[in-house]
Amino acid sequence: MTADKDIGIRAVQEFLGDDALPDRISSGSNNEQYVTLEEPEFETAVSHLAANKFVLISLFCCEGFSVNTAQTLFYVFERRTSILVLIRGVNRRATSIASIYPSASWFERECRDGFGVEFEGAFDTRRLFLHETYPEGFHPLKKAFRNAPVITKTMVDPAEEYPFREVRGEGVYQVPVGPVHAGIIEPGHFRFSVIGETIFNLECRMFYTHRGIEKLAEGKSPKECVRIAEAVSGDESVANATAFCMAVEQISQIQVPVRAWYLRTIILELERICSHLGDQAGMLIDVAFPLGANQFSVLREECFRESNRLTSSRFLRGMVCIGGMSRDVSRTQLDEVTGFVRKMRKRYRIGLKIVLSTASVIDRFAPTGVIRHTLLRPLNITGPAARASGGKVDVRLNHPYGIYDQFAPKPQRLQDGDVLSRFTIKASEIMDSLDLIERLITTIPGGDIRSDAPVRDGYTLALIESARGQNLCWVWIKDGAIERYKVRTASFCNWLAIEHAVQGNIIPDFPVINKSLNLSYAGTDL
Amino acid sequence: MVNALTCLLKKKVTEDEPADNDDIEAIGREIKTEIDAVFGRSLAIRELDTGSDNAAEIEINNLNNPFYDVERFGITFVASPRHADVLIVTGAVTHNMAIAARKTYDAMPSPKFVVAVGDDACDGGIFSGTYAVLGGADKIFPVDLKIPGNPPTPTQILTGLLALMRMAGKKR
Repeated sequence: MTADKDIGIRAVQEFLGDDALPDRISSGSNNEQYVTLEEPEFETAVSHLAANKFVLISLFCCEGFSVNTAQTLFYVFERRTSILVLIRGVNRRATSIASIYPSASWFERECRDGFGVEFEGAFDTRRLFLHETYPEGFHPLKKAFRNAPVITKTMVDPAEEYPFREVRGEGVYQVPVGPVHAGIIEPGHFRFSVIGETIFNLECRMFYTHRGIEKLAEGKSPKECVRIAEAVSGDESVANATAFCMAVEQISQIQVPVRAWYLRTIILELERICSHLGDQAGMLIDVAFPLGANQFSVLREECFRESNRLTSSRFLRGMVCIGGMSRDVSRTQLDEVTGFVRKMRKRYRIGLKIVLSTASVIDRFAPTGVIRHTLLRPLNITGPAARASGGKVDVRLNHPYGIYDQFAPKPQRLQDGDVLSRFTIKASEIMDSLDLIERLITTIPGGDIRSDAPVRDGYTLALIESARGQNLCWVWIKDGAIERYKVRTASFCNWLAIEHAVQGNIIPDFPVINKSLNLSYAGTDL
Repeated sequence: MVNALTCLLKKKVTEDEPADNDDIEAIGREIKTEIDAVFGRSLAIRELDTGSDNAAEIEINNLNNPFYDVERFGITFVASPRHADVLIVTGAVTHNMAIAARKTYDAMPSPKFVVAVGDDACDGGIFSGTYAVLGGADKIFPVDLKIPGNPPTPTQILTGLLALMRMAGKKR
């Protein structure tokens, strides 16, 4: 653990040499290391980290962090259990690192839209979350902008429409899909370039549900912001709320009672089961196997009902609060959950057997929508999608939070990276989560469920393993109010994976590939 | 009546119906009666997400799971607004979705009904008055019924649809 934590520090010492003075490196409350870099040092540092297998897991901007520069960019790198944050002061201009770290491209475009920072040398400078109806020069995350309605265009001139990448050649044609889709799903635009039925290129355009989550949080009290964290993505309500609360608790050095962590973990795992069941049902619908799909959708509805009995919310909302839990759960309720889990395990096995012994399902699942292992690091692919492609990533194991160090999940790993692997990984994770919940309920201690210690000023990074993978948030509290709440969900990272996963597959397989990754549009668009 | 009894007594080829579902059956039967009377036996719904956090979509989707299975009450979710009687809107209307949302509404044949599902679609919810949204669904087209909730449960949505049927019947 300690040795791994030093990987970050060692890397800094390697690229800074004698300049790596201890006062330039500071530790965050979540064990992340911050290093402030001068501009000439920056590019060597990034190349060095890239050569040493560090993954860029986030890049975000912030105003007012330093007195010397207008904006501060935070480059968050991960290697195994080590988190290193490079701090770079800029004045509206910065060099792009997207050619070294392709995952930086969306992040840089996000910083440009939000703060007006231009990235020189970037291969893609199109707008990201502000679509073409927003006025030029509008950057909502600047402190000078007070959150208020803006006037946008009601029509877009064809000449100003979003320029999709063009793929030319004999027999290549484009299929535009969305933002409004045929099913009951969230909006997004998919631009397929196709040869016959085979997908040659896919470009996803997102951010249709951009609701301004990060700006909305600014100036709010940390307590009010829990509700905003829950609204990042409906089926990740507990994960995002917990990540936010963890950040605030670490900043304020609030000791969360052990019982509260047990309860949090129970509902975090319940949320994971619910989400995975939905994915599995959806994947089976998309390969026309409703018999299998209904096995899982019935279990999922029961899961929603159990959640409702336990927390009075089918989405487990309103339970997690700063310092612990807002309500306790009685022994009778917990025993009922144990009964539920046991029944569920049996019935889930039956459903799984039906599915995995059906040739037509396997035929559609394998080897469809392969995500190659070599893409994991450059694109920062996370969660079950990465684990199905041989990735050793799980925040619960790499950066254990709460009580996961005592209740570590089984490391799941498959190599093929296709739809079948993702389906199977999710099945194993459901079984594992069911076991985990049962063990938690057997050993849950009594005691307080909340600490009401006061919130203090400061900043930190928090990581959590949501159903979809690593969710990250960076919280900065100033004068008791939220100064910056940066959220980056697993979906934001994994959208890039789907563009690669579909290549060479046929359009009719797109829905099942999409569902196997189960990305949240809302969690991406913020 | 004979029909209902036969349903109960005949041996089923399917699996057992889920238990704990009594209010759904009652609301469903009432809806079916109203749909028969007001919409000529079937109601086609198109769902439109204008900026939701996806919880409301999940609940609307759940209306199709075996517990609710609303097709048996005459309700179908259709793939195009051109086939729809009712537009169910979820989420506050974002600037990025406003044009597509208007096009969706315009593509529906008249008479058309709009139902806002969830707090954000009703009045913008927590996003009201911010830069990224116009507000609730009624900022861009007329809304006939609002079903509040964060998100409303499938039963609440179904109860809302029953209210819409009754309202539409009176308007006739």
